[in-house]
Amino acid sequence: MALPLPPGLVPTEVAFLCEMEMVTVVPRQRLESIPLLSGKTPALRPPHRAQLPLWLALLLKKQRRANIVAPPWLLADSLKDIVNQETNVDPEAFSLPPPPPMRSDGRGSARPYAQASSEPRPGETVLSPPFLPSCTGDAPSGYLPYHWLELAETLLAHAADDVPNAAEVRALLRDLQEVRAAKMRGSTAHLGAGAGGVLNLRGVGAMELAESRGFVLGVVEGVRRLGASAEAGRREEEEEERRNGGGGDGDASDEEMGF
Amino acid sequence: MDIDDILREVDPTFDSIPDETRDLQSLTRAWVAERSSPELLEWPADGLFERVNDRIKQQIEKIEDMTGDMDPKTNFALIVIQTELERYKYLVRSYLRARIAKIDKHTLHYLSSHELRARLSPTELAYATRHQALLHNHYLSSFLSSFPPALQNLNDTTGNSSMIETPDLDTAIFIRLLRDMIVEGRGTDQDGNMDCKNGDIVILRWSDAKKLVDSGFAEIV
Repeated sequence: MALPLPPGLVPTEVAFLCEMEMVTVVPRQRLESIPLLSGKTPALRPPHRAQLPLWLALLLKKQRRANIVAPPWLLADSLKDIVNQETNVDPEAFSLPPPPPMRSDGRGSARPYAQASSEPRPGETVLSPPFLPSCTGDAPSGYLPYHWLELAETLLAHAADDVPNAAEVRALLRDLQEVRAAKMRGSTAHLGAGAGGVLNLRGVGAMELAESRGFVLGVVEGVRRLGASAEAGRREEEEEERRNGGGGDGDASDEEMGF
Repeated sequence: MDIDDILREVDPTFDSIPDETRDLQSLTRAWVAERSSPELLEWPADGLFERVNDRIKQQIEKIEDMTGDMDPKTNFALIVIQTELERYKYLVRSYLRARIAKIDKHTLHYLSSHELRARLSPTELAYATRHQALLHNHYLSSFLSSFPPALQNLNDTTGNSSMIETPDLDTAIFIRLLRDMIVEGRGTDQDGNMDCKNGDIVILRWSDAKKLVDSGFAEIV
């Protein structure tokens, strides 16, 4: 009964998660609204576009009831920009993730998508992928969303005729995948001295995380085990210093521990 | 009355995410978090699971009603509803099984203190207690009873080491930040902090990440 899988999402689970991403479809047939557990689907009226979760869009696509609109970031020009960004502009870091979607409120300021104010209220769930509209027809181009690789692969596999220039897109995706995989492997180099226990992987994708989770966490664990006794000694020293210094010296450990 | 409430009344798209979708998001987040965190997390307190289970029950009843009429138009809707139901049930099942795996692994630990017991749902608590009792009886009848009474405990803490295995809370995990903030972490050679932005994926120790996740500033991915 207990789940035999290792901790951390495995690639099939990531693909499952990705199927919840909203995509834009152009229906070819009328379809009434369907009451689902996750809310009612919009009624489909050709040729009006509608937003549906990917799994449903694929089902409609297979039955030739709808076409899927490729998200703007999946077009060849956008991908070329991103490849250029990843290889030439900043060969160290991943390209930036899409900015959080905003909409204006009635008072002339902007607030995050589907959130009543710019600061989340207590108890309010903040939306995050796959529930943000980052793969719809209105998504910004030039940014890779969190589920970029899975979504692109799925669309190319099941709806290749809806992706303009599918062959070129496929080649560009392979380039991106390779250059980013190298960065992912290289990221562990920053885990050594001076990392301070926090490593930021801004812009990384879900499938890339799932692929390298074991490797990255293995390295982090190994470094921690090797340094465990040194770390315990350092903490004891700091504790000692703080007790002797009375907290007035303003040394680094005081600032860090005092929050 | 707040201006937001007025806006919500005149503009139906103002808060356009329906409760059902919010529940799906909460369920998904709970599942991802439970799958990735090294220790058992709190059972959702706001009745999320009762709501989800009720809806699943109603949906099954609806399917039973709909299978009666064989109109080809509703037939496709039925396929969609069933597909979605299966996806939903998979989420619930996988979440519960991930929790059982952790409870099985460190049963005595989660039963050992009041705070830890509070993380389990009533059913899980009953399961863990019964499971542990069965296990203990089995040990007793197979070998423990032939030990001297002083060595029969399964939770000895003599010699500075506890017999109860605990999950390693310093395991590194990945989190996604839900707001701009400074993330503090403890490292081997030095402690540090980093200025991070909303949406960043950060690796750090679970013991440092827990307070961020608990306060809703970050989520586990």
